[in-house]
Amino acid sequence: MVGPSRPKRDGSEPDLLGEVPQPPRRRLRSALFLLLLLFVLGWALEGAKLRPGELFYGIPEIAMTIGRMLPPDFTKVTDSKSYYFPESLSPSELFLPFPVPEDKARLRQRWWDNTFPQTVVGATVETIQMALAGTFLALVVAFPVGFLAARNTSPHAAIYYGTRLVLNFLRTIPDLALGLVFVAAVGLGAFAGTIALFVHTTTVLGKLLSESVENIDEGVVEAIRATGAGYGQILAFAVLPQILPDVISFTLYRLETNIRAASVLGLIGAGGIGYLMNTSFRTFQYQEASAIVLVLILLVMVVDYASYRLRQLVV
Amino acid sequence: MTILEVKELRKSYGPPARVLRGVNLTVEQGEFLGIIGMSGAGKSTLLRCINRLIEPTSGEILIPRSVFISDADGLRVDVCKLGLGGLRLLRRRVGMIFQQFNIVKRLSVIDNVLAGGLGYQPTWRSCLRFFSPTERRHALLNLKRVGLLDHAYKRADELSGGEQQRVAIARVLMQNPAIILADEPVSNLDPKLSRAVLDILKKICIEDGITALVSLHTLDLTRQYADRILGLREGRVYFDAPTLAWSEEMVERIYEGSGSETAR
Repeated sequence: MVGPSRPKRDGSEPDLLGEVPQPPRRRLRSALFLLLLLFVLGWALEGAKLRPGELFYGIPEIAMTIGRMLPPDFTKVTDSKSYYFPESLSPSELFLPFPVPEDKARLRQRWWDNTFPQTVVGATVETIQMALAGTFLALVVAFPVGFLAARNTSPHAAIYYGTRLVLNFLRTIPDLALGLVFVAAVGLGAFAGTIALFVHTTTVLGKLLSESVENIDEGVVEAIRATGAGYGQILAFAVLPQILPDVISFTLYRLETNIRAASVLGLIGAGGIGYLMNTSFRTFQYQEASAIVLVLILLVMVVDYASYRLRQLVV
Repeated sequence: MTILEVKELRKSYGPPARVLRGVNLTVEQGEFLGIIGMSGAGKSTLLRCINRLIEPTSGEILIPRSVFISDADGLRVDVCKLGLGGLRLLRRRVGMIFQQFNIVKRLSVIDNVLAGGLGYQPTWRSCLRFFSPTERRHALLNLKRVGLLDHAYKRADELSGGEQQRVAIARVLMQNPAIILADEPVSNLDPKLSRAVLDILKKICIEDGITALVSLHTLDLTRQYADRILGLREGRVYFDAPTLAWSEEMVERIYEGSGSETAR
């Protein structure tokens, strides 16, 4: 078969190439592959129960829901009543860490421990704290694990395959599922959410760091080894400086992800702002809910921007 | 004094890939030995077997114990039989210079030089990148010897290729080496820089009485710097003669034959 795009030879042109190797034809294979792809796609769309009609007729309903959310009701954020400040304590006694009489100290403690986390600002702060703590703890554990799970720095093949296996297995568990497990184990609250973030982030960071370690320039390792340096010295001088930008970049990226994850974890009672948001929706306080969503969006934007600047600074 | 004797050294990566097929070699202290041969002749493998960055399959590499153990007699030990501790002691006195420089680009020049002394320092302290003022002084001194004192606190990747290789030489000097193994140290540099780097290396070797084994890719440079030239071909020593005794015919026979590569 001669396609129309192939130039026709006429006698005047000397054929310099002679017999030219033709690219292999894979048309049948491509067609079969396309067919298979279409079939899988159709199967997926069928299973997803897509009903565009209902979506279309649901548009007014969506508009109404959004309408009910507007304007956002910020009273829970701005109104001092929603913070339940203890009347017997002055603001300075409440907010400054100076010694106060024992009964007042107990009152102050109770407000900070129980009341403040229930407020929008308190829950936001708690979300940030959960993400920071979970990410930091994960980094501390993932850092050595990354070396063990990298082919070129692992002390033994068994350790390499072992850590890989554990990391890969744990990583398949979604953080929401981990949250459910830890809520059952340690009860409702930020602690359960933080451990869930910690475990999940450790597996992700461990995997990312091990890949970073495997991609380093081995020549430098060879050079440091040739000076008579030991294992720890090789890690500190040849490996660490090369992976440091990745360590910082991955950690900040996980911090951003964890802020989002910490907000969602509230839905299952594992602390953070998600709990308040859920409550507002469930009690049909849509305007209040939209205010919380806006606070959440602002929070995520601020953290994204901060980590972007931080990355620029250090990498 | 014979500082290095290699006997029947073999290295194979599985039966078909025999890189070294029985290398015999004797090096006297203070010699500047040039090694030539086509790619794949076994130059890099031979050099890396001497400090066991590559484990030889069989053979002996004999070095006087006094080279790396201070209170030792003149007896010789087989490098291939050294344990991990002994190997680290040996590596301290055997410096290596690489074709790719292999310095840590994100660290400062002086930190790279200080890394050369790692074998002499306790692990816990050096892992935190803490060095004593004496060590820092020593590093600056070595940087001065390679003419890079002004660049000490720059990041290594700010330097040119020739300068980076000089940093690598300063790093080797921190080891107080008895032997320097240089694996194509100037292959990535233009001819002018190549000469500058080799001038420094040769000068330092003469001043400190260091024995050097240097593989080079051009015959001109080898002839200019080496006292003696070793010609490797297909994993064997094909010729081993003082530089002046090398004839054109010998050179041709090193580079001729199976490969399509031509002598440069």
